[in-house]
Amino acid sequence: MTARLFLRVAATEAKKRLSYRVDFWLQACVVFLVEAMLAWFVWQAVFVESGRDRIAGLDFHGAVLYQVTAILTTKLVRGSEFSDQVSDDIYTGGYSRYLLYPVPYFGFKYAAQLGAQTPNALQFVVFGTLAPIVISSATIAVTPAGVLMAVPSLLVANVLYYVMSLALQGVAFWADNVWSLMVAQRLLSAVLGGAMFPLAILPDGARRVFDALPFRYLFADPIETLLGRRDAGAWAIGLAIAGGWIVVFAFLGHVVFRRGRRAYAGVGI
Amino acid sequence: MRRYLRLYAAFVRFAIQRSLQFRLDFFFRVGMDVIWNLHYLVFYGVLTLESPTIGGWNADQLRLFLGSLFVLDGAQMTLFANNHWAFPGLVNKGDLDYHLVRPISPLFMVSLRDFAVNSFLNLVIAVGILVWAFARYPEPIPAASIAVYLALLLAGLVLHHALHLLALLPVFWMQGGSGLRDVFFIVDAANGRPVRVFKGWAYRFFTVVLPLGVIVNFPVRVLFEGPGLEIVVHVLLATLAGVAVLLFVWRLGLRAYGSASS
Repeated sequence: MTARLFLRVAATEAKKRLSYRVDFWLQACVVFLVEAMLAWFVWQAVFVESGRDRIAGLDFHGAVLYQVTAILTTKLVRGSEFSDQVSDDIYTGGYSRYLLYPVPYFGFKYAAQLGAQTPNALQFVVFGTLAPIVISSATIAVTPAGVLMAVPSLLVANVLYYVMSLALQGVAFWADNVWSLMVAQRLLSAVLGGAMFPLAILPDGARRVFDALPFRYLFADPIETLLGRRDAGAWAIGLAIAGGWIVVFAFLGHVVFRRGRRAYAGVGI
Repeated sequence: MRRYLRLYAAFVRFAIQRSLQFRLDFFFRVGMDVIWNLHYLVFYGVLTLESPTIGGWNADQLRLFLGSLFVLDGAQMTLFANNHWAFPGLVNKGDLDYHLVRPISPLFMVSLRDFAVNSFLNLVIAVGILVWAFARYPEPIPAASIAVYLALLLAGLVLHHALHLLALLPVFWMQGGSGLRDVFFIVDAANGRPVRVFKGWAYRFFTVVLPLGVIVNFPVRVLFEGPGLEIVVHVLLATLAGVAVLLFVWRLGLRAYGSASS
């Protein structure tokens, strides 16, 4: 797939997603504020009732800032997971088109998925810029270097989430509904990936298990990089491991789709 | 009333037949619901590693709270969730017409038409978790408290359904979309927090204005504090108010409904 086609597909999708601007910003602001408020009150209860001033190396404002960054990061990494799905193409028979078109299916769908991220990216920039100003913490240091390092981490996390979901969506060749598998992926990755709480809060044994799984590279790594809690060495190793996981899941997705195509009748529902 | 019960029994029969046709999906959904339960258990389990109480409740009390939350969620997923999901589509495509011309309450149809058999299994699992939480609770809980708790949890289920449907009703005026569904999904997370983590205006908001913090929290409070009149009256008033507002907005919505493809 050429870079030009990739960009054109992404731009078309971005344009489509930005067509309902008022509705989007209204919902985005309300949803973000509610999520941030819930995080604020829960962490306030934890800090006040434990009587501690540091948890997982974070003070109260640091914990809230971690959670707010997690809210924005999860949107950016997951993207539009429940719309324009690969599984929809399989159900409706739309997948047949791509078997004939001279474009690689996964590349085309990823370009569309990336374009669909534009509203989330805008939210990330706007709220992500405001958050460290409004909630300042002595335990968090957002620096230009951290922000620059976080960009590739976020891109890699987005690709990793996408390839993880491909293998699950490929189950649509055999099952009539894979929606629940996508929800399961969302929940598991949130808990195991550090989107619900900083992984540093876990006891050593549990943290070693979480570190061995691919989920921390979806959320915890980009968040910690952005908040200046990872040095360059750990960041580079994290990117390399995430790259390895991408290869593993891409291979798995490839195997599922290769087998699935044998079962695919192309008639749709 | 008997007619409605007979009709509902038929809905359940159809749902069982349908679920037997899609066995793989059945187990996927059961798996998803189990993971949903686990993600809450891990979340509060991790937080209680750092703090002896959350919102004034210790680990034993939080287990009872979570067990109750899972039972309520299992019940609402079994009875209402599929119907909530389908409702905006009924209005947008004009399919609500079919319910309006039938000689039964259209609100009954849009609320209870689809019974989710797979989520019923999750309800059974959730009841198991709740029983486990009761068994692990170190102090005796009087039978009267448990009886009031169960009655209030039932009222909480009705209140949750009313609030969820209310969030979808704007679809009558929004010409497409799904009302405030996405906003509701996020705000509904307040239902899964011990309500006393909220302070000041936030506590008043989640117990009076949008009483999501009443649905599970108040019935569970009965288990620890006894069946106080204040708690019982609060839950019942919130439920009655929720249902009354739902009926009022529902009627307004039907007046605004322009039939097919509105």
